[in-house]
Amino acid sequence: MKLSDICQRLTVSFDGEDREITGLNALKDATQSEVSFLENPKYASQLESTKASAVFVTSAMAHLLPATAVALVVDEPYIALAKASRFFAPARLEHDLPAPVVGEGSVIETGAFVAGGSRIGKNCHIMPGVFIGNNVTVGDNTVLYPNVTVYRDCVIGSDCVIHSGTVIGSDGFGFATTKQGTHVKIYQNGNVVIGDDVEIGANTTIDRAVFASTLIGNGVRIDNLVQVGHNCVIGDYSVLVSQVGLAGSSRLGRNVVMGGQSATAGHLSIAPFVTIAARGGVTKNVEKGGVYGGFPLMEHKLWLKLQGKLARLLKA
Amino acid sequence: MLLSQIAAELGLTFTGEDIAISGMNTLRDAGPSELSYIIHGKYTSALSQTSAGAVLVPKALQNALAEGTYALVCDDAALAMAYASRLFAPPFIDSDAPVPVIGEASFVDPRATLENGVVIGKGCTVMAGAYLGSGVTVGDDTVLFPNTTIYRDTVIGSRCRIHGGTTVGADGFGYAHTAQGEHVKIYQNGNVVIGDDVELGSNCSIDRAVFASTRVRNGSKLDNNVHIGHNCDIGEHCIIVAQVGIGGSTTLGRNCVVSGQTAFADHLEIAPFTTFTARSGVTKSIKESGKVYSGYPLMEHRLWRRLQGRLAKLADEGISKKRRAKTHEAE
Repeated sequence: MKLSDICQRLTVSFDGEDREITGLNALKDATQSEVSFLENPKYASQLESTKASAVFVTSAMAHLLPATAVALVVDEPYIALAKASRFFAPARLEHDLPAPVVGEGSVIETGAFVAGGSRIGKNCHIMPGVFIGNNVTVGDNTVLYPNVTVYRDCVIGSDCVIHSGTVIGSDGFGFATTKQGTHVKIYQNGNVVIGDDVEIGANTTIDRAVFASTLIGNGVRIDNLVQVGHNCVIGDYSVLVSQVGLAGSSRLGRNVVMGGQSATAGHLSIAPFVTIAARGGVTKNVEKGGVYGGFPLMEHKLWLKLQGKLARLLKA
Repeated sequence: MLLSQIAAELGLTFTGEDIAISGMNTLRDAGPSELSYIIHGKYTSALSQTSAGAVLVPKALQNALAEGTYALVCDDAALAMAYASRLFAPPFIDSDAPVPVIGEASFVDPRATLENGVVIGKGCTVMAGAYLGSGVTVGDDTVLFPNTTIYRDTVIGSRCRIHGGTTVGADGFGYAHTAQGEHVKIYQNGNVVIGDDVELGSNCSIDRAVFASTRVRNGSKLDNNVHIGHNCDIGEHCIIVAQVGIGGSTTLGRNCVVSGQTAFADHLEIAPFTTFTARSGVTKSIKESGKVYSGYPLMEHRLWRRLQGRLAKLADEGISKKRRAKTHEAE
């Protein structure tokens, strides 16, 4: 899509050299064919080093852009981004893609649906009621139990087991809120990439990324009813127990264990080999290995002490 | 499968008289044709009392076994048990089982999938997108709403209602761990048994047992998004509100009331007629029946209310002290 087309559809003024735009991305990840945005002045420092072709910015910030980037001056850059995201949303279901390629020994049961452009490896078992969207890749020996849904463009590794009712690649929860309080959808044009030897329980949801990918490492184990937000990165061999909730862009190192109903706020990192006890609420980065619990989060030992003190308060 | 074959598959040495092994079970429940295991010194006393045909044990414990039980000596019994569980996993689908039997006046939508070996009673409704695996049995007058998934060998009673998106009988969350931090699957070869008059809300998941059965007994009602771990036993007429999570092997007595977002650790026993208010976190067994509990850590509801009162006072004191200090400064 031409940059001039985008501007015309958003009624943003544009003059100068036109460019071909392939998609949207964050400031630090955008390439020369992508458009980005800056809303929060906190990230203004990322402006000068961005490789983006064009950036939605307020007039106050426009001068910080490098010469390579076209400034698209708007009042509300985040709203402009949300509106532009719709232009890059792929079709829900494409019918003119090549027929799916299914490897030797794989069984697609009657009642399962595999859309065009998808590739299923060897010795997989796709059970009835499974939906696999366009351009999905599945490795070898992977089992999808009945009524699993894999949205388009997702990647699933080899030796995985995904239980019933689980949804991979549904839209991340992203909206830009207008001054009137209405919410404009940010189309989630990324995907989900799941490594090898991953087991995912029943009725779990792993949301697709807004840009790039939500990543699940190798050997990860996920229980039932877990929610993984968009753009999360789960390190190898991590364990997520039932009803865990990870908000968008949470990054877990390898072998992190999240106890039942524990949760994270968005945009934070948890160091490798950290254990979060059941019900723990993580609102800040966890930088040191160890066992943590409680909400607000603290070292598990401290949490136990605090509970002791509360018990004494009760007796006093 | 012969014990000698199992030993060969696991790379363990086997000498002596061979026996046929039909499956795996806990030390307590294993019969003479079953293989059991012991993990890190726990339950050592059960070793001398087990009727298991054979037990995976570390070398140090091999002499603690009762006579007549074969000790299959291994380095890490938990890992060996996980590898052995794979040998007893049934196929995903039994294509050779008899064609499904559907009782009188039952309606099965043509868009539902019934594997061979399914038996459905009279007057049932199975709606579009529902999946019933091999060997599933359903009683009379039960309704399966769209896109419910019932894994193989599950038993569902009469007059049940199972709402859309609910999964009954998916694998329990069980793994043995290698020294490198990898997780080895323990195949969940048990099933789920749902009694009569049970209602399960939307998008619930009730995991199958590792051995034997996960049970939801007669008359229990579950709301939406409830998780029940493997080998749980939910007593009769329990009420479980939305987003509750119950860890593996926890048992609830009859008529327990569990309010929203409450969670239970694993291996607990809860007395009958116990009530939990919303957001309770249960980490210990409850022996006395008929009480009301709240909070995390859990306490009796009236204590929890007193604690909340004191905490509110504490917060209030803090604020007023600061205010007092400020007015003092201003003066």
